Amino acid sequence: MLTVIRERAEEGLGRVGEAVIMARDILRVLPHPRLYWTAALQQAYVMGIQSLPLVLFIAALGGAVMSQQTGAQFTGGLPLWVIGAVLAASQLTELGPLLTAIMLTGRVGAAIAAELASMRVTEQIDALYAMGRDPITFLVVPRVVGGFLVVPALVILADLTGLVAGWLIGVLAVDGLTTQDVVYGMRFYFRPWAAGFSLLKGIVFGVVITFTACFVGLQGRGGAEGVGRTTTVAVVTTTVWLMIMDVLLAPVLKAF
Amino acid sequence: MIEFRNLHKSFGTQQVLRGVNLVVNEGETLALLGPSGTGKSVLIKHAIGLLEPDQGDVIVDGTSIAHATREDLRRVRRKLGYVFQNSALFDSLTVGENLWLAQEDETGCRNIQDCASEAAALLERVNLDPDVLSKYPSELSGGMRKRVGVARAIASRPEYLLWDEPTTGLDPVNADTIDDLIMDLARNLGVTSIVVTHDLDTAFEVGDRIALLFDGQIRAVDTPTGILGNPDPLVRRFVRRTRADEAESPHRER
Repeated sequence: MLTVIRERAEEGLGRVGEAVIMARDILRVLPHPRLYWTAALQQAYVMGIQSLPLVLFIAALGGAVMSQQTGAQFTGGLPLWVIGAVLAASQLTELGPLLTAIMLTGRVGAAIAAELASMRVTEQIDALYAMGRDPITFLVVPRVVGGFLVVPALVILADLTGLVAGWLIGVLAVDGLTTQDVVYGMRFYFRPWAAGFSLLKGIVFGVVITFTACFVGLQGRGGAEGVGRTTTVAVVTTTVWLMIMDVLLAPVLKAF
Repeated sequence: MIEFRNLHKSFGTQQVLRGVNLVVNEGETLALLGPSGTGKSVLIKHAIGLLEPDQGDVIVDGTSIAHATREDLRRVRRKLGYVFQNSALFDSLTVGENLWLAQEDETGCRNIQDCASEAAALLERVNLDPDVLSKYPSELSGGMRKRVGVARAIASRPEYLLWDEPTTGLDPVNADTIDDLIMDLARNLGVTSIVVTHDLDTAFEVGDRIALLFDGQIRAVDTPTGILGNPDPLVRRFVRRTRADEAESPHRER
């Protein structure tokens, strides 16, 4: 039993060390944008365009649920404009960034992990090394920079979609709620920093999703089964790290 | 020159290489023979730094691969070409882009158009039409992928070539084309090659010398004539049996 625990701990520490080395290698490449800029823009475009409909749809559903449930709980107790305030607060600081990140983990993170794991098991990564090319520069940095650029943009669009959907569904579904109530509540709550916080989460989540997917994908082993296993590990690991980063970022909001 | 010095490699409890010592001289083509699973591919992967030895070293062109810095390794790899057993083409890129990736630094071409004529010439050398350039690897047969892999390996004009089963899965005509290419590169450009194969025809045709890897060690290194006359029963059995197998099924895919 102790041996198993020790082996797992050693393995875990080894992984942390490898992740630190990959982060260091990425940072080494970043000051040389000519090596990755075109590929990063391509990655950002593909990630953004392919994910946009899904992200907006999920954001709209989140906003619709939030206004209805807040309405159901507050009707008869608090003034209805509070629904607008709760909608804005939850959408900007939590629902928009986190729902977007979780959807992107399934959509983008899984695709990156599967692609890189497949490249690993078919020796394409070895072929890059053999050609004197660095997989970090060629594969990882463009994806991480692409995530860094596109995820905050998707989060802002998801925020706006969630707010609009929450407002429309709220006015239709909650008895007595008017557009004026929702707008008053949103304006009562809104501070520019809330939008900045949403953006900050988008940046952090974008890096977490792409970095973790690349890291796990490059560790891919075995055949088709190994690629499937790697993809599952990437999605689960990324989701866990997103929640951890969400908790760690919470005090930042309080600071302002 | 490529020199393997007392190379040991294990995967878990399986000991694959048990102290390999082998020198491949400048401009020489060395055919590396041995039974399946004996570590031939593992051995040449050490020469390009794709695997790290447990013990020992490989010296390529005076550089110790085991102790090379990242930059040293990159520099050495630019002198080497590697033909992968399963081609290892980048499946998200077209054939042209695969070749371009190998060409761009060495030949100075900056885009696919600039490289196109050179890429077409490379494809011609491996018996492929230039219209293959715009196709993706998934649109090609296994044999065509293999030949594109060869074209990609020679695209960077390497001084050293490591061939991992270059003729396996090819029909006899295309296998002969690859054999001729190996000999032509050695003769006209002085390329030093290690050809991992279990195809005796290829080994005896292209090899200046033949090395036999048995049980993780080099059992014999000699000229083709020397290998045929080697008194070691294991060497004799391997050469005779493989030749007999080939004689029994002359029309099989190589």
